[in-house]
Amino acid sequence: MITVNGLRKRFGPTTALDGMTFTVRPGQVTGFVGPNGAGKSTTMRIVLGLDAADAGEALVDGHPYRALRNPLRHVGALLDASALGPGRSARNHLLWLAHSQGLGTHRVDEVLHEAGLTAVAARRAGGFSLGMRQRLGVAAALLGDPPTLLLDEPFNGMDPEGIIWMRGFTRALAAEGRAVLVSSHLMSQLEDIADRVVVVGRGKVIADASVSELLATVSDGRVTVRSAAADTAAAVLADGGGSVAATGDGALVVAGLSAETVAGLLSRHAVPFSELAAHRATLEDAYLELTQEAVDYRATIPGEAR
Amino acid sequence: MRTALRAEWTRALRAEWTRALRAEWTKLRTSPGLPALLAAVVVGTVALSAAVAAASDPSPGTDLPKLSLTGVQLGQAVVAILGVLMMGDEYASGMVAVTLTAVPRRGRVLAAKAAVVAAVVAAAAAVAVAGCVVVGWLLLPADAVAARPAVGSVLYLVLIGLLGLGIATGVRSSAAGVGVLLALLYVLPIIAAAVADPDWQRHLRQIGPASAGLAVQAQANAGDLAIGPWKGLGVLALWAVGALLAGAVLLERRDA
Amino acid sequence: MTGATNVTGLADVTAFANTLRAEWTKFRTVRGWVLATVAGAVLIVVFGLQPGMQGSCGKKGPGSECRPPVGPGGEEVTDSFTFFHQALTGDGSVTARVTGLTGQLSGGGPDRPRQGVVPWAKAGLLVKAGTGQGSTYAAVMLTGGHGARLQYDYTHDLAGAPGAVPRLVPGVVPGGGTRNEPRWLRLSRSGDTVTGAESADGVRWTTIGAARLAGLPATAQVGLFVTSPQYAEEVHDGLESGAMGGPSRATGTFDHLTTGDGWTGTAWQPDVIGVRGDGPATGAESLERTGDVVRLTGSGDIAPEVAGAGGLGVSISQTLVGTFAGLIVAAVVGCVFVTAEYRRGLVRTTFLASPGRARVLAAKAAVVGGTMFVTGLVAAAVVVVLGQRVLRSNGVYVHPAPTSTEIRVIVGTAAVLALGAVLALGLGALLRRGVTAVTAAVVLIVLPYLLAMTVLPADAARWLLRVSPAAAFAVQQAAPEYPQVESLYTPVDGYFPLAPWAGFAVLAGWAAVALTAAAVVLRRRDA
Repeated sequence: MITVNGLRKRFGPTTALDGMTFTVRPGQVTGFVGPNGAGKSTTMRIVLGLDAADAGEALVDGHPYRALRNPLRHVGALLDASALGPGRSARNHLLWLAHSQGLGTHRVDEVLHEAGLTAVAARRAGGFSLGMRQRLGVAAALLGDPPTLLLDEPFNGMDPEGIIWMRGFTRALAAEGRAVLVSSHLMSQLEDIADRVVVVGRGKVIADASVSELLATVSDGRVTVRSAAADTAAAVLADGGGSVAATGDGALVVAGLSAETVAGLLSRHAVPFSELAAHRATLEDAYLELTQEAVDYRATIPGEAR
Repeated sequence: MRTALRAEWTRALRAEWTRALRAEWTKLRTSPGLPALLAAVVVGTVALSAAVAAASDPSPGTDLPKLSLTGVQLGQAVVAILGVLMMGDEYASGMVAVTLTAVPRRGRVLAAKAAVVAAVVAAAAAVAVAGCVVVGWLLLPADAVAARPAVGSVLYLVLIGLLGLGIATGVRSSAAGVGVLLALLYVLPIIAAAVADPDWQRHLRQIGPASAGLAVQAQANAGDLAIGPWKGLGVLALWAVGALLAGAVLLERRDA
Repeated sequence: MTGATNVTGLADVTAFANTLRAEWTKFRTVRGWVLATVAGAVLIVVFGLQPGMQGSCGKKGPGSECRPPVGPGGEEVTDSFTFFHQALTGDGSVTARVTGLTGQLSGGGPDRPRQGVVPWAKAGLLVKAGTGQGSTYAAVMLTGGHGARLQYDYTHDLAGAPGAVPRLVPGVVPGGGTRNEPRWLRLSRSGDTVTGAESADGVRWTTIGAARLAGLPATAQVGLFVTSPQYAEEVHDGLESGAMGGPSRATGTFDHLTTGDGWTGTAWQPDVIGVRGDGPATGAESLERTGDVVRLTGSGDIAPEVAGAGGLGVSISQTLVGTFAGLIVAAVVGCVFVTAEYRRGLVRTTFLASPGRARVLAAKAAVVGGTMFVTGLVAAAVVVVLGQRVLRSNGVYVHPAPTSTEIRVIVGTAAVLALGAVLALGLGALLRRGVTAVTAAVVLIVLPYLLAMTVLPADAARWLLRVSPAAAFAVQQAAPEYPQVESLYTPVDGYFPLAPWAGFAVLAGWAAVALTAAAVVLRRRDA
């Protein structure tokens, strides 16, 4: 279990963390999301004792990280998949890590097998593709069989098979009773595996709730309708209380009415329709809505009006 | 009760040190560049000694053991690289973060690295110095073999490696670390020689790491040494210890 | 078609200009590199201005300024000797026979002088414009270790017939003087020309040479002279090197002193010109006369004044002692400028932007070389100008150098820094690993110089200083080396075996080779 309480940190004039507080509980996958610069990596580094906070505390199983003996047996972390000596083989990289915790080659071979890297264990880690390096990082995190795991962007660089594997893996780890913290930008991936989500922005926690609670806070979804008699459909639905907008390719987007209501209205007025799709709120929508205010770095799409 | 706890605590501490040392040793022995570097120490040292010994026609009164150990002045450059890379490479690849999560007691990490560097350099230096002694015995007139210069040279190289480790920990960059160390070793004596005021010269020779450390190679009765042989080596030891301590403090306080 | 070629040419130039600008931006936006460059310049200045040297010129009251006499050519000279002379007008000749030359050196141990004649001890006949120091002269003489010679106007030196005296290894001749066969010497004046000749028997004469002395007045001082210069020996003790030495004196025994061909007179009198503390102080002390035999003792030298261990003071090169430190910084920056690209794969972006790889390398070389040149120029100018003042105010005598020499030293030092950085850049591009390249550059540049200064025998040392990149330090040589002046011409004092631009060309050669090899390898290798 990881408890983070009131963390503050500044880098020169920039405030990176401004009172970050949350808990990562065992048996769950906790998603950790936020815009760039929100303080996710900094928080993780402080939890792992790499950086020092200006105020507040971060505890792993009730202890600060630097006080732990054999810390890799308490927390396994994947921060930067490229943080390895490029000349070493994957096996040797895991070997020295194992030795630092009093573990041996047997355990190294086990984690290599779990991560699917046995075939390439003797190859130079510097020659690995990004996906393989991610797997090696996960293997390193598992060396100590820790009850807590911190994974920073574990889906980066994975091919579809790798993503499926990683998703199943994280869920399995949580099912074993471990506390898993996964930070990611890929909301679609998190949506399926996370039990709770901690949304951060500008160094603070904006929301800390289960996925379903979060989705409920987002405004209702829209319904997309395609009809041969588009104008009639629009009029009918507008009368029925929905706000209708036409998209460029002949479809209508209706807000404010549930899908059943839309279907009922159109049938009652005998308006033919060929497609009716309910657009459910996603974690991405929730995230974008919550973090609207907190985004520091926003890119513009060419041609889009602000 | 307390003795039992203390015994437990001592055992745990020893176990942790063993693990840190073992990890650093595994890290070093699985580095692909290590055999080449060690070979370069030996080859560089012996080759330069042989070249100098072959090219000299020493007049009586020349310090023969010191002449046969000239190669140490080239070997020290390779040892410097070794010491610097031990820490500098980790910063270059970012692996230092992994190391510090595995062993959060940062002083222990540095101490373990220092122990491993010292052992490895001592082994390579012993071979190199033995080679120089053989060269001296073969190419130079008698009396080119002496115990103190040889043993002292091995210690000298070990201290140079440790000095490199300390500097690299402070500057966090391999290239800058090597630059600083080589400047200290090679350029300081040149500047000392060019400063013609004899007092300044003497002081610079007494405190410069290379000039003080290499005093251990001199014959016992060499009259005009700036500093005594073991004292000079002690000065170098101070440099190494100072660099390691400063490095340890910086490592401990700075963000990784 | 010509139009198209012109366009291509212009496109090439523009492309290079863009690459150059990109590399400059890359360089100046890394704070560490800019700071390091500045630090290198600061190091040069700090080491040049440090008050480490002390001297006594001007420190003991108004009369103690070191102002050596100046010879007819404008150069500073030493002019101290014992003169047994008289004034003679018009043309004529003077002859004498030298039967022995012995000497004595101090510094052999505490207060115990050693017997021995230094190689450049001089005894013979002298024609001089007057007894003032620095006046024009011509002398024919026997030396301690270089045979019979004709010297005039301080900087000119001609050897007598080979085999006259076996040429000894430079160094002190222990325990005695020259062999005991007497030798005849003759000096003849005809208008402005003075001819020197020697003979084994007084009958058959061999002319050594003739001297044209433009400023020789009608009445000149003519006679016997003896002098013996300072000697200096190198001491090697590992990383300690230094010089040991001191004054010496010589005693020449002459007989058959006669004048002829227009000169007459026997009113010879002894004088000591340029009294030295270690030689005889008055004419009376210096002369021993028994019948026809004259024994003169003298100390000093008639020669140009040199800087360094065996001479007086320093040359302006002394202010540039910090150049090595600046050079190491330049090498590190030059290396890192290229190896940093390989660290995180920036090199791929660079080659995407500028596919001409040799062009990129050239642009990098131009940027780092240009930056080092400019900073080096400023640092060297500051230190050469101000450093001389610091040294002088500390009482050290600094041989003034003509402005053209000062400019050459300053510009040359800046160029050496630039080329050192370029050499390191080439090594960095070849080796790709910053650490290896920095070590290779530092060891290549510094180790030969260091070894030459300390451990190596003189021949090996000079060979190394001709062949290694450190040969370029010859651009800093501000004082000429005179073979007829025995002194320690060590690199530390600013004397190098090669001429300035020859030494610079050696470094340029190294840099060119490294850069060319790097360009070739860069083209073939995967980025």
